[in-house]
Amino acid sequence: MTALFNAISNLGAATRKNIDSLGLATMFLLRIVSSLFTGLVSFKQVLKQIYFIGNRSLIVIIVAALFTGMVVALQFYDTLVRFGSVDLLGSAVALSLIKELGPVMTALMLIARVGSATCSEIGIMRNEQQFDALDCMAINSYRYVMLPRLLAALICVPILTAVFDLVGISGGYIVGVHIQGENPGAYIQGVLDTISFKDVLVGQIKSLVFGLFIMWIPLYYGFYLHLNQKNMGAEGVSNGTTQAVVMSAIIMLFSDYIVSSLAL
Amino acid sequence: MVKPIITVEHLFAQYGDTQVLKDVNLEVNPGEILVVMGGSGSGKSTLLNHMLGLKTPVSGTITIDGVNIFTAKSKQLRHLRQKMGVAFQGGALLSSLTVADNVRLPLEQNTSLDTQTIDIMVRMKLELMNMAGTGHMMPSELSGGMLKRAGLARAVIMDPKLLFFDEPSAGLDPTTAVELDELILTLRDAMNMTIVVVTHELESVFKIADRVVVLFNGEVVANGTVDEIKNSPDERIQNMINRQPNTYRDDGEVYFNRLLDKDNI
Amino acid sequence: MNIEIEQQNNYQVVKLYGEVDLSNSRSIKLDIIKLIKSKNNVIVDFTHLQYIDSSGMASLVEAFNEAKENHTEFHIVGANGSPLQVLQLTRLNTVFNLADSVGAVTHNG
Repeated sequence: MTALFNAISNLGAATRKNIDSLGLATMFLLRIVSSLFTGLVSFKQVLKQIYFIGNRSLIVIIVAALFTGMVVALQFYDTLVRFGSVDLLGSAVALSLIKELGPVMTALMLIARVGSATCSEIGIMRNEQQFDALDCMAINSYRYVMLPRLLAALICVPILTAVFDLVGISGGYIVGVHIQGENPGAYIQGVLDTISFKDVLVGQIKSLVFGLFIMWIPLYYGFYLHLNQKNMGAEGVSNGTTQAVVMSAIIMLFSDYIVSSLAL
Repeated sequence: MVKPIITVEHLFAQYGDTQVLKDVNLEVNPGEILVVMGGSGSGKSTLLNHMLGLKTPVSGTITIDGVNIFTAKSKQLRHLRQKMGVAFQGGALLSSLTVADNVRLPLEQNTSLDTQTIDIMVRMKLELMNMAGTGHMMPSELSGGMLKRAGLARAVIMDPKLLFFDEPSAGLDPTTAVELDELILTLRDAMNMTIVVVTHELESVFKIADRVVVLFNGEVVANGTVDEIKNSPDERIQNMINRQPNTYRDDGEVYFNRLLDKDNI
Repeated sequence: MNIEIEQQNNYQVVKLYGEVDLSNSRSIKLDIIKLIKSKNNVIVDFTHLQYIDSSGMASLVEAFNEAKENHTEFHIVGANGSPLQVLQLTRLNTVFNLADSVGAVTHNG
């Protein structure tokens, strides 16, 4: 009986702890957003972060997009050919990329590159008392450190998603037209006919939502590294980063479902 | 009677379930160097964190320059913090900025001085710390001693009234440690700074302190001048001064049992 | 903080009373530089100055530099107490031409 009670109380404790974390994370986000109104955010800082997120991830996104587009086209071709509907290839590739694969794949690539780097950087800053120093210098760390990163993410992620979509559709074109020998006109027409403004909008909204999570979650895990006593030192940073990456991915996929179902 | 510039009253602090500070009371007078001394686990770093307003206590107050730091409005606290400089243990420089940009940061964020003026002030402070010409370097390129000095340059860039040191001599070679002690004395004399030093390095303490507060297990066990501390009847303080860990005085049998005690690891 | 500017012989004497710090160092700098740019020789009188911080010192360094570029004279006189200690600590006493009083400069000039 005690084992059962223990299990229940552990579950209760874990639930409370998670709700606590959720509350803390929300307060954290609110502080970052409200710091927008406490003074001018440094334009220079935002640009620096845009460079970090955007420039350095561009090649990775392009390569991933190319192969994703190619494999999607390959798979769709295989199915469509059985129904004699190969001229639907362009539509199929474009729709699946713009509505779903573009935002999700871009987000996953960025979680791996940007999310982990950000969490490590912020975690190390926490370890080395850099946030304490900022507090003592009467500098608002939310405005100085967090906000530029969040704004840069909200700017870059939709743009990078759009790049992914375009490159992916081109990858599909390469497979459909040059490898499988389909009609180029049919492919392109298929793309243009099927894609509506709403599809693009939903894709971009998703990427905006993902952008928020991609930056918010690693920032939170890095910033509050010290709350978990086991998390001091290099091992702590590495643990925190792993947690941040996993949590970002899960929440991203969850929000993917929510936005998709709201849009339909 | 000069009014104290820092007053700590009945401070109680906790980490989870552990009592870290128990009824700590102390005062710091303007223009003096107060050293807070204690071994590891004595609570001295926690006390410093509370004085800096980085942590809030279970109960008690800290008043700095007339401001109750735990109840002050954020604008009041901001103004107060601009009069305080903190030299953290590892320097706590921002890793993405050069040394010069780090030292410049408080001025850039809190004043409207011209860039040219700020540049000169940064160079002056780096010269003072014997760090001339290092402004372009990144923190990752600096040695431990240089990191501390850069951190100190940043701490004094706004000519603060109050200066706090967290373990200034830790990790420094003896020569640099002596230079740092001299610098601390000069800052008090030439700039009229009130200085609070948290440390466990005895040599420094006796050389620079006007008064000493000794912490043991979160409690203040002594508060007085260097001579008063040296002559204290308290055994723990005498042990600390004579660098004897308390256990050396046990007799052979007790020591033998301890060596074999399975729980003593 | 009060500032008085008066002409003595062919020098503009800038008398500083009280304290120079972050709140007024920039405006004092601009006043002095305006004098220098109008081709005046400047003496900054520290006799009644009680306190000057690094921003004040840096401002005077800038003014001194301006005087050099304009080929005019720039002197600091009457430094005592805390300001004198700061000049020594920052080694600016080796940079500026320090003199004991306004008279010491104007009689030699």
